Amino acid sequence: MAFIETHGLTKTFTVRKKREKGRLLREKTEIRALDALSFSVEKGELVGYIGPNGAGKSTTVKLLSGILTPDGGSALVDGRVPWQERRRHAAHIGVVFGQRSQLWWDVPILDSFSLLRDIYRVPEAAYKRRLDALTSALQLEPFLRTPLRLLSLGQRMRAELCGSLLHGPELLFLDEPTIGLDAVSKLALRDFLKRENAQNGTTVLLTTHDMEDIAALCSRVMVLGHGQKLFDGALNNLLARYDTSREVNVRYDGEIRLPDLPQGCAVAREGADYRISYAPAQVPTAHLLSLLQAAGPIRELTAQPQSIDRLIAAMYREMDL
Amino acid sequence: MNAYLSVFRMRRKMELQYRGAVIGGVICQMFFGLILVSLYRALYAGKPQTTPIEAVVGYVWLQQAFFRMLLASDAELLDKIRTGGIAYDLCRPLNLYGYYYARIMAQKLMGSLLRAAPMLGFACLLPRGMALPPPVSLPAFLVFLVCLALGLLCVCALENITMAFTMRTLDSRGVQAMLNLLMMTFSGNILPLTLFPDSWQKVITALPYAQLLDAPIRIYTGQYALAEAPRVLLVQGIWTLALAGSGVLLWRHNQKRLTVQGG
Repeated sequence: MAFIETHGLTKTFTVRKKREKGRLLREKTEIRALDALSFSVEKGELVGYIGPNGAGKSTTVKLLSGILTPDGGSALVDGRVPWQERRRHAAHIGVVFGQRSQLWWDVPILDSFSLLRDIYRVPEAAYKRRLDALTSALQLEPFLRTPLRLLSLGQRMRAELCGSLLHGPELLFLDEPTIGLDAVSKLALRDFLKRENAQNGTTVLLTTHDMEDIAALCSRVMVLGHGQKLFDGALNNLLARYDTSREVNVRYDGEIRLPDLPQGCAVAREGADYRISYAPAQVPTAHLLSLLQAAGPIRELTAQPQSIDRLIAAMYREMDL
Repeated sequence: MNAYLSVFRMRRKMELQYRGAVIGGVICQMFFGLILVSLYRALYAGKPQTTPIEAVVGYVWLQQAFFRMLLASDAELLDKIRTGGIAYDLCRPLNLYGYYYARIMAQKLMGSLLRAAPMLGFACLLPRGMALPPPVSLPAFLVFLVCLALGLLCVCALENITMAFTMRTLDSRGVQAMLNLLMMTFSGNILPLTLFPDSWQKVITALPYAQLLDAPIRIYTGQYALAEAPRVLLVQGIWTLALAGSGVLLWRHNQKRLTVQGG
């Protein structure tokens, strides 16, 4: 049996709208956040969980951490039903909600950590060892005695992550952990997660909108839309499906007249720069280049792969999300 | 250390950080105390009442000194409930009722002790007639301390019910404004309950609000004789258990129907 297993997980929220003028009753709409979601995750896996806003990602995390109760379906995490054994389950998992804080605003973060130690009943020796390892890996030593309110966003997120890992959870839910972080902080955080996963075998379910996070960390990715699972597999397989076009930028010396290009090529011009997108399957790259070269003296030529963000946007469009 | 004790210590530490608020509060409460004492003295000079003036003066000072026990709510906790930050507390291996109870208690206990000490010292130094009179007897003083502790347990249970309601309405202001009015009136903060008509007092002293400060103060001033102490403590105990019990049920119910917004 897998570490996490869900079958037909369903959750509906009722949203009450403000009463419209001239109507007596408020309108209620039901939003199906999760619609019969089934998946399984093995121990030690690092799974990326993506989908547009409102797809049901956070709802899944809240169900699996025992905060919410589903309307239908079942879920087992390491043999436990999260919402039925909330307290026992909670001792084994760690959660980071990227947009919220678990540390106390006005007190040094070390005090918040001590409180977490007591909440999870971590023995003193184990706590010391774990805290040392985490503070050096996350470079938190200089601010341990600083109140949270004086830390930058990047420092704060590192402290939050430290707080969620102090009790050595077997399963870590990360809900947009890199939101708002600068490049250096993001890279440091990713490195740390990779090591945590490799060294301690922590299973990680990572929710994000940052595709770089997924590319750097996850061998497997699940795509969620309208509460349903649309894709589950390797990121490369996902990208290969949508990665069908290429783009070249050409700049010529002086004015030239671009010849008519074969069907399947699209040209956009900005001054002396031409941007040509084409599908290599339709128009061979060598053929296109020879046509471009024949048109005049080329000063600069660059070819670019499609950005992951664009691919994902194309995918969401195609899946009608 | 135990998690509930640990959160108590944490909240206490925070309370100690806001020294400015303590000084401001003490000055404000002293001012109110002086005004009210002068007012009652003037009233008594015109028309003496059945309750002796010393008892009323003592009542006023003790009410002012322990004001924070009644009216202090954990703004941070309310905010957490409103914005959904409570999601974190829900995925801890904890009993939420107990966790919040400890947190509320730390604030109320520290908040009122920090203010009561200087206030009562000041009130003892005032000229005769204005000053806080000593307790009627040493046994009465000891019972007063027990009674005050029970009052604290009771008010924390009451506050935790407000928290549970906030979780449903997501906005505490409506419920709180109403509860504060009831609290101020029926706890004897606006007008000592001893000055209400006797027929009213029969009802008012049975309400939970009278268990918080009114009951201990009456023991202190001798309005309740020592022989009545067991009955008074029993009523307090019953209310504390009833309020804590309904709080536990409310939180359990909340947890079942919970939806954490956004994120």
